[in-house]
Order: sequence, then structure tokens, then C-alpha cells
Amino acid sequence: MGPDSETRHRRIRSGWVLSMALALGVLGFVAAAQWNSEVQRASYTTSAQQALSAQALTLEQEQEALQVQLAGVEADLTEIQHQSEGSQTALAEVNRAVGEARLAAGLTAVSGPGMVIEIADSRRTVPAGENPANYIVLADDLRDLVVALWHAGAEAITINGERLVATSSIYGVGSAVLVNTGFLSPPFRIEAIGPDDLEERFRVDAAYLGRVAQRIEAFDLEFATLSADDLQLPAFIGSTSLRWAVPVEEAP
Amino acid sequence: MRTWVAQVSLALIAMLIGITLVAQFRSQARPTALSSLPVAELSTRIQTLSDANRQLRTALAEQRDLLEAYQAAGAQGFSALDVSREEVRRIRAFAGLSGVEGQGILVRVSGSLDAIAVNDLLNELRNAGAEALSLDDVRVTASSVVVQGARTLEIDNVAIGRTFTLVAIGDADGLVAALQRPGGIVTQLEQFVRATITVSPTEALHLPATARDLAPRAAVPVE
Repeated sequence: MGPDSETRHRRIRSGWVLSMALALGVLGFVAAAQWNSEVQRASYTTSAQQALSAQALTLEQEQEALQVQLAGVEADLTEIQHQSEGSQTALAEVNRAVGEARLAAGLTAVSGPGMVIEIADSRRTVPAGENPANYIVLADDLRDLVVALWHAGAEAITINGERLVATSSIYGVGSAVLVNTGFLSPPFRIEAIGPDDLEERFRVDAAYLGRVAQRIEAFDLEFATLSADDLQLPAFIGSTSLRWAVPVEEAP
Repeated sequence: MRTWVAQVSLALIAMLIGITLVAQFRSQARPTALSSLPVAELSTRIQTLSDANRQLRTALAEQRDLLEAYQAAGAQGFSALDVSREEVRRIRAFAGLSGVEGQGILVRVSGSLDAIAVNDLLNELRNAGAEALSLDDVRVTASSVVVQGARTLEIDNVAIGRTFTLVAIGDADGLVAALQRPGGIVTQLEQFVRATITVSPTEALHLPATARDLAPRAAVPVE
């Protein structure tokens, strides 16, 4: 083996050593990050946390049961009002007004053309030093999408099945988004009934282009839209009681 | 031989990096299962769920009373008529189709708020339990949104000036507390948008009905 050959072999060995060191360095860094997050996660599983999550689960189940019961009573009421429509003129007229008011208020299930939006957290790995919150869907994003939809002419909107009404808010609570009484998690599916060109109008709306579209692009949030010929949206199931607001209009 | 060993070693390291990266990515994802939520978030969720369930129980009791009233009315058409009239009044007020009055708060805003900020303010009031809202005498309905018009902000095609008044009917103490909590929306807007916001609890407020026709054109009721 001549000196040239030895030098070449030494260079190749140095290259391998460098590559291996680099790979091991990356592995060490990622493993450390992973270990840290595991430690953090393990610290969550305290007995207090277990008790609280069991309590939250019980409350969620109770809420589902209450909503089913409320939907049943609402259906019985609608049935009675429908039955009386044909009986007496005055009663029939008032019950038609009840039906119209329920439709306008979002208390009736509806169908029609419209669009569907699906949005979910980014699949991209959060780069070191960046805020992980940038890569998840925020309540702000859903609000922007809903504002754009209403402005584009939507007549009825649901988010993961929660129908939006006059008292609905979209609120970030920890890692979940609270809509009406439901804690929603991604992927978020927004369905909207409106004019045939709803999707085109939505796509150029300033409320969509202003912030959420930029976040979708910048942080690679999962996002898709689809026009639909026949959507079915459920009625709002929840409290419509007015405790503080007193109607001032005379009934028809 | 050496090359073979080096290739296998590199392949193993690459595989380990891949597995660890996937695990790391998963651990960065937002926790969605209840059991993985932090204690503070669980406490907030329990409080919110308890409040919501209380509201749902009240609503259920009221709707059952209404159903009983109909059933008791039976063939007596006049009683059923009264029940239905009350139902129309309540639902029209809920939707914004009729005027309402009651206690609540007046929020006077002055400054260069953009559409997002005003929509956030409306959202905050709804979340705090406002039963009815108006912005400069325009009744806010489910589909009322603030947008940037050609010159000024607009709601339901009505221009909003740099100074405007929001009226919310609801529990005045609760609404004030929600808006003025430390780090809340009023603090944020005053700091970041340079707005002046005054919140005043008021005993007797009146909100008009919406001027819009809320009857849907594309959406039809499902029987």
C-alpha cells in the first residue's frame, strides 16, 4: 500500500467518522427532546388527573343524555304544533309562525346545497424554537372561517355537528375548542348551506384571505373545501331560554 | 467487510432516528383524550361542562313544562293558542326577530379596531352569556358579522364609525367580569389596538329587532 492509497483510506475513514458522529448527534438531540416530553407527559398522570378526567367524562356523558332528551321533547312539541295546524285557523296561524321562527333561529334541521370545509392540525414537525401553537388549529381560525362563510351568504352552519345560533360562541379552552356546549377536537368539519356559488364567494372573502388562509399556508395546516349539492344540518340542541331578555313584540 | 458493517450500522442509526422522530412528532400533537389533558385544563373543562349541563337541565325542564301545557290544553283551542303565542315570542326574541329589553351592559369603544377585533368582542360577549346583542342599534343575529367595507367597518351592510356602542343583555356582573378580567379582551384591545373601551352595567336596555329577513332561501326544513 503506497502513501497515496493510505491517505485516501484515511480520508474515507474520516468521512465515515464525521457522518456517524453527525447522525449520532441528531439521534441524541431528538432522543433527548423525546425523553423530555415523555417526562412531562408522565407527570400528568397523577391520581388527581385521573379523578378529574373521570369526572369530566361523566359530565360529557350526562350532556349527551340531556341533549338526547331535549331533542326528544323538542320533537314532541313540533309534532303537537304540526297536529294543531289543521285544527283551528288562529292556532294554525300561530303554529306556522312558530315553525318559521324555529327555522330562522336554527332550531330546525335543514338541508340544501352548500360547502364543506375540513381543517386540522399541521402534520409538520415543529421546528426547534418555534411555538407549537402555530401548528394547530385555533379557535381564531374557526371564527375567521365562519365569518367568511356567513359573509359569503351561508344560511346555516355547523362545526362538528354543532349548529351555530345567535348565542353561539367559538372559544378556545385549553387544547379544545368550545362551541355551544360541546368541546370539539380536530379534525374540524364545517358544513354550511347557502347559495350555489357559496364556495367561490368564500374563497375570495377577506375574512378568509386575511388571516386564516395565511396561517394554513405558513404552517401547513391540513385544509380542504368541497362544494356539496345536498347537505343535511342538524338543529341546535341546547338552551333557548331567555333569563334576562324580555321580548317586547306582541305575538301575532 | 468493513463497508458492509458500516452500511448496516448506518441503516440501524437511520431507522432509530426515524422511530424517534415519529415518537417526537406524536408527542408534539395536541392532547385530545381526556386522560392526557393537564389538570388545569381538566378543571376548566369540568366547570364549563357543569355550567352547560345546568343550562341544559333548565331548558329540558322548561320544554317539558311547555309540552305538559299543550297536553293539558287538549281540545281547548284557546289554551293551546296561548302556549303557542308564548313560544313564538320566545323564539323570535332568541333569533333576534323581535326587540328585547332587560339588564346588561353598554360597551363604548373608540379607536381603530379592525373587523377581527370587533368580531372577537362579540364572540367574547356571547361566550360570557349575552342573550341578545346590538352594535350601534343593529341587532346582532347568528349570521351578523363585522366586515371591512369600502370605507369603514360594516355590520349587516350598515356602516360602523370609529366610535361605536355595543349593547349586551344578560347578567351584567358576569358580562363585566368576562370583559374586564386580567389579560381579557378589553386589556388586549387597549394594549394592541390602542382603543378606549368603557364598560357600564345598565339596568334598563332596549335592543331593536333585526331589520334583515332571516328566512332561508337555500336551506329547507327537514321533516
